[in-house]
Amino acid sequence: MILANLYNKVLGFFRQTENEAVESSKDTACNRLRVVLMQDRTNLTPELMERMRGELVELLSKYVEMDKDALELNLEQDGDQVALMLSIPVIRAKDEDEIKEALEAAEAKESEETSEEDDTNEEESEEETEDSSEDHENDSEENSKETSEKEENNENSDKKSSSKKEEK
Amino acid sequence: MSGRVIVITSGKGGVGKTTTNANIGTALAKAGKKVVMIDTDLGLRNLDLLLGLENRIVYTIVDVVEERCKLKQALVKDKKNPNLCLLAAAQTRDKSAVTQEQLKDICEQLQKDFDFILVDCPAGIEQGFQNAVAGASEAIVVTTPEMSAVRDADRIIGLLEAKEEIKSYKLLINRVRPNLIKSNDMMSVDDVVEILSADLIGIIPEDTGIITSTNKGEPIVNDEKSLAGKAYNNVARRIIGEDVPFLNLEEPQGVMAKIKKFFSGLTGKEK
Repeated sequence: MILANLYNKVLGFFRQTENEAVESSKDTACNRLRVVLMQDRTNLTPELMERMRGELVELLSKYVEMDKDALELNLEQDGDQVALMLSIPVIRAKDEDEIKEALEAAEAKESEETSEEDDTNEEESEEETEDSSEDHENDSEENSKETSEKEENNENSDKKSSSKKEEK
Repeated sequence: MSGRVIVITSGKGGVGKTTTNANIGTALAKAGKKVVMIDTDLGLRNLDLLLGLENRIVYTIVDVVEERCKLKQALVKDKKNPNLCLLAAAQTRDKSAVTQEQLKDICEQLQKDFDFILVDCPAGIEQGFQNAVAGASEAIVVTTPEMSAVRDADRIIGLLEAKEEIKSYKLLINRVRPNLIKSNDMMSVDDVVEILSADLIGIIPEDTGIITSTNKGEPIVNDEKSLAGKAYNNVARRIIGEDVPFLNLEEPQGVMAKIKKFFSGLTGKEK
């Protein structure tokens, strides 16, 4: 009897280690917390993130042809710093003429719409959009044909600056 | 003498701010330091209960502020340790009875006579918190390995970082349950530290002894056998500046306990 129990115990031990691939409640808690804290620290609600994503798609499509639905935009924590992670599957690099055309079209559109710019409520998200897109411009000029690229943007919101923004 | 003013805060209620205050204060006093604890939770005072001093309070912090008594008269001496004093909160008033300036002033006066001034902060981030933090230059942020407590601690850390007077803050993780952590059902100390990216000053295990010690009005650091008491004593030593390693909570208590556990597991299954 005791031997059988021992056998079961040993078996059970190995099964436990196999099951560790399944996410534990602790991991769920950690992941949920990370996401929610990122939102708390940066004042970026899911709606604002969605808006930022939309604006990025619009801006970057001038330079590269990409899979718009697969563009991923996430806030991630790297030690003390908050990073904006942007993953863009590039389908095809645009040639010079196409880029010129897109830029001109955008400029024409802009001059038409100068009267109707949004209020400055979401300053922060706009700031970050600008920064990350600048970085990306360089990449696309190099005509990289990778299907996916990750990009990090550490300059903006580390913890301190975000908490100061909160104060305002 | 210019004492250190440390505020003990958490954001969320019920994570053990007051218990931490009572135990660190008592431990520091036992180590020979002159300690005064200020309860700033006006209207919801409890520090007196944890210290067993509820029947000795004559004057409160509001009496001091409204000049019905001198500051020294309002300090209640601990039953056992003459190094330890309490400035109690008023139970009948609300948070607006004392201003930030007044609290700052009280802290400055106490700094002359005491090595440590521990300020017990109310839960929340409103005026009560702002008042409690006003006179302090250091902070201990108490949290537990639970999502809501960690989130609130993050908020508090953000607010503390924005305050120039707060020169440093440390994290104390309370009510840690090694068994749950082992089975991956509770965030570990490392997880919490990583998420909050703050320096750690203490890890306190969940201990049923806390309940009985509260019942008796006797801080658990006075119980030599208690693991939580030991952990709080270590926190006090770290505050003084000693380099004390963290207790290894996952280690089984002894070889006998381990053997017992193994056999009880076997016989239990046979039934």
